[in-house]
Amino acid sequence: SVSSAGGNRNSILVSHRQKGNPLLKHIRNVRWAFADIVCDYLLGQNSCALYLSLRYHLLHPDYLYFRIRELQKNFKLRVVLCHVDVEDVVKPLHEVTKTALLHDCTLLCGWSLEECGRYLETIKVYENKPADLIQGQMDMDYLSRLNHALTAVRHVNKTDVVTLGSTFGSLSHIMDASMEDLARCPGIGERKVKRLYDTFHEPFKRAV
Amino acid sequence: MVQFHEHIISDLLEDPSGGLVVISAGLGLPKLISSLLSLHDPSQGSVLILNASPSQKNSIDINSQFASITSDLPAHNRLSLYTSGGIFFITARILIVDLLTQRLPTTSVAGIILINAHSLSDTSTEAFIVRILRSSNRSVYVRAFSDRPHAMVSGFAKAERTLKCLFLRKLHLWPRFQVYVSQHLERDPPEVIDIRVPMSPYMIGIQKAVIEVMDACLKEMRKTNKVDVEDLTVENGLFKSFDEIVRRQLDPIWHTLGKRTKQLVSDLKTLRKLLDYLARYDAVTYLKYLDSLRASESFRSVWIFAESSYKIFEYAKKRVYHFGSGKSIGLSKTVEFFYLYRHPKMRTSYELAFQPFYQDGVLLEEILEEPPKWKVLRDILVEIQEERQKQAMTGEEVIVGGEGDLNGIILVACKDEHSCMQLQDCITKGQHEVMRAEWEKYLLSKVELQALPKANKKKPKAPKGFGVLDGVTPSISGQKADVSSISRPENDALLAAAYEISKQAKRGTDVKDGGANEEHGKGSKNGRNKKKTLIGKTDPESETSLQSETNPSKNEEKTIDHNQSMVGHIPESEYFDRSVLRKHDQGPEITSLLPSLHFHALESDQSLLDILQPSVIIVYHPDIAFVREIEIYKSENPSKQLKVYFLFYEDSTEVQKFEASVRRENGAFESLIRQKSLMMLPVSQDEQLLGISSSLEPQSVIAQNLITRKAGGKKESEKEMQIIVDMREFMSSLPNVLHQKGLRIIPVTLEVGDYILSPLICVERKSIQDLFGSFASGRLYHQVEMMSRYYQIPVLLIEFSQDKSFSFQSASEIGDDVTPNSIISKLSLLVLHFPRLRIVWSRSLHATAEIFTILKANQDEPHEAKAIRIGVPSEDGIIENDVRAENFNTSAVEFLRRLPGVTDSNYRSIMDGCKNLAELALLPIEKLAELMGGQKAATTLRDFLDAKYPTLL
Repeated sequence: SVSSAGGNRNSILVSHRQKGNPLLKHIRNVRWAFADIVCDYLLGQNSCALYLSLRYHLLHPDYLYFRIRELQKNFKLRVVLCHVDVEDVVKPLHEVTKTALLHDCTLLCGWSLEECGRYLETIKVYENKPADLIQGQMDMDYLSRLNHALTAVRHVNKTDVVTLGSTFGSLSHIMDASMEDLARCPGIGERKVKRLYDTFHEPFKRAV
Repeated sequence: MVQFHEHIISDLLEDPSGGLVVISAGLGLPKLISSLLSLHDPSQGSVLILNASPSQKNSIDINSQFASITSDLPAHNRLSLYTSGGIFFITARILIVDLLTQRLPTTSVAGIILINAHSLSDTSTEAFIVRILRSSNRSVYVRAFSDRPHAMVSGFAKAERTLKCLFLRKLHLWPRFQVYVSQHLERDPPEVIDIRVPMSPYMIGIQKAVIEVMDACLKEMRKTNKVDVEDLTVENGLFKSFDEIVRRQLDPIWHTLGKRTKQLVSDLKTLRKLLDYLARYDAVTYLKYLDSLRASESFRSVWIFAESSYKIFEYAKKRVYHFGSGKSIGLSKTVEFFYLYRHPKMRTSYELAFQPFYQDGVLLEEILEEPPKWKVLRDILVEIQEERQKQAMTGEEVIVGGEGDLNGIILVACKDEHSCMQLQDCITKGQHEVMRAEWEKYLLSKVELQALPKANKKKPKAPKGFGVLDGVTPSISGQKADVSSISRPENDALLAAAYEISKQAKRGTDVKDGGANEEHGKGSKNGRNKKKTLIGKTDPESETSLQSETNPSKNEEKTIDHNQSMVGHIPESEYFDRSVLRKHDQGPEITSLLPSLHFHALESDQSLLDILQPSVIIVYHPDIAFVREIEIYKSENPSKQLKVYFLFYEDSTEVQKFEASVRRENGAFESLIRQKSLMMLPVSQDEQLLGISSSLEPQSVIAQNLITRKAGGKKESEKEMQIIVDMREFMSSLPNVLHQKGLRIIPVTLEVGDYILSPLICVERKSIQDLFGSFASGRLYHQVEMMSRYYQIPVLLIEFSQDKSFSFQSASEIGDDVTPNSIISKLSLLVLHFPRLRIVWSRSLHATAEIFTILKANQDEPHEAKAIRIGVPSEDGIIENDVRAENFNTSAVEFLRRLPGVTDSNYRSIMDGCKNLAELALLPIEKLAELMGGQKAATTLRDFLDAKYPTLL
């Protein structure tokens, strides 16, 4: 009811099945529109969500399975959004967990409609967001970043980074160095040389 | 050996399978255990001591003859120790791993000594250990101990559950009021002198105000209807365990509580501290604490707005300084004015100093009220000295048990190190000096505090510019202004005083060489620093250095009959009259006692009595456990003359707390005795053991299915379900619960994941606290990345705690917007980046175990050797089972993605556009911009690649 239907990229598409779900009231940070879709909520090109209230699950234990089967393999991320609205959660939650896990769905739990709504909003808003937020704080100065990059190669430590940096003068020179030049660096043994050289010179994608 | 210890031990030894002993605090538990251990004979096998804290280790093992088994020891060394028949301290984690991997031959273990049994639950690793040991070796004994009876009655049938989880049947209770114990301890009791020190009127005022506020907070709590009203009494509120009572009731519904209730809980804690510190801290330190309290929590707390809290601050201030204004008031007048505040009787008992600071017509007087106990302590010491001198003079050699009373050690027992240091300073330098030093520190810190940029505080002010005020109005709200009762001119005056002092201090250092000043300078500067390092240690070194600093002087003019004045309760008036008499000789006359004077902090948890062998003990801060220690010490040395002084503040919460702690312990024992009579323990718990040790435990559905599939329900040990568990996980209780469920646990060191359920399923387990922490550090992202790389079904298990609420937050705590810090945002982001990640939400440990068996149902068993290798690169750097490794140069991709300017959305097109990193390093910026989809990103990357590495020189 918020916006007109259509392939709006920035809004959540909601299945007609969800009409009357009080959850919709809590989707406020993102626009949404009804559409003819298989899943309950279409959150992006490759992601979708099914909504399940545990109370409903207790009445219709097979519902979730049939809904998941309908989805087929069209989505990379398939969320089962479970509204925990019963007191005695353990048994029904185990059933939902099992069904979701064995049929390639990611289970998210919310304890209120607000929380469920927020998950839908967030997944939509963060659709293209990099993972920086959960990758831990990193210092942004040159040396820290250089350390971070070079230590992606196994067994390269901070001392090695200093050695490489001061020997070759810049990262591009390190990446372009020959095996002999690398081997000339103190503290960098045969195996490390090979590992570094392979990292830089082996193609990103191996020939299939 | 103490006589009743013999009784305890012989009782305990009656049952060969062991028992649980609960004794009163302070009744010498470490000694009891070491005498029990001295009966050990290596031929019986090894004895393992579990759960001992470092200080307990030291006091059990006085001669440090028992080794500690830690994970640092290589496995074969541990084996030889286990089989040596000795006595060892061991951590539960290492023991359980060695048991599960069968590195520990259970037949070589004679028994287990378990300390702090009150901390056990049926899911704890210690219970796990006992279960495994018992199931393979029936003759192992388990002797468990606790000296915290009140902790043994917390929760429902705690004692019974503890017994059951240790497979014990005998509960031995040894309260202080037990016949043997009391008979033994009261046969030859030490001479006890109970001194009730009256508190100063302001202290009484503060105490009254705090209790009023506390009461108000408790009334508020009752209104919430969330807590059992019965426990909410001010008396309970005096103890730390009050928090536990409240938390245990509130934790399961914590997320539904309003902010106000949560605040009340923390306010009550603060108030309890305020009461405690009132008796412990001097006036200046107390004020300082209040100041920082106000600075840190002013606007959220409920209590700070209560009517009486105004009094707390007001009185605390009045104990330290008085602030008046107006030029007209002269010095003499102020003194008079000042005396009006005091009870005439009390007048002389305080060290009053008037050093008014005039600043623009305002006046700041130092009052610096000393803690009344200081004076009493000094008096006691003086008296002891006189007594000794008298004895020395008359030549009367009091030889009782061959020990001269003259140079017996005097022990002063305080709660904490801080008080120890302060008291020591009091004795060596004089009380007034100490108060002045604290005052100076306070004023200087005031300047610093002012300099902190606080929104609701006055702005930075350098000492030199003290007259200048910034534009911030001192009152935030009407009430607030009342509370932070420091007005502008008052504040200025304080800063002016601080400035004076810092000037003096500078001058002081300048003239340090001057002869007359030397001693003083030493006392207040070098001396102080030196002292800090000395105090706390009681080695001979510190003794000698103390001695060298003092010059013993004899003072024969005192003629007060100590016998009469010190025995029993001293009438107030007489006491103060005496203090008037002595007022002039606050000098160094006690100093000859100093070599034998020791200060002991009870918090340090060391038992010094046996080492120091004091003949006089002054209990400055009364503590029930220490009282018992004294009793035991006395009964062990019946020949020794021992005099004990107790210093209580009269009618204070200190007394109340002490008495309540006795009542509370007795109550706990009475409840335990009742529980003991009603306990339902199976005659033989071995049957239970049998059930657990096999995988065919009826409660497991899967196991039942197994039975029906195997003809006749025959047990086949190879088909036992197994889970590979990372070593580090043995800190938690989950392995124990899994084992209870009948799963086989294989402990190994895992590089990837915590639990491997099958060749496909790998689980990373996070408790709620861990979850938040590892999101913040980025560790979770990395762990999930690794799991996704090596396993087809990577699982994140979010495990809630049984007794806490099953949710992240209440609906009201979810804000209106999508915010990056919310746990919802972080989880969503994780899910978006790892669409293959499966999330399991578990209500509790037991639910987790259930889920694991469900998930394993149709899966193959995990492969131990493979699981260990996963994630660990082999010699040539190629990682096995890497699903991506066949198609990608994984370290190059990782390297690329860590470069600045490279994002999740452009790294694929970079990989498409150039062959390898070496080629990338040479690409011109135009080409990069094309590949990366933007000039800005390309510049960032190019600049980084070409940046000159900073030279070290």
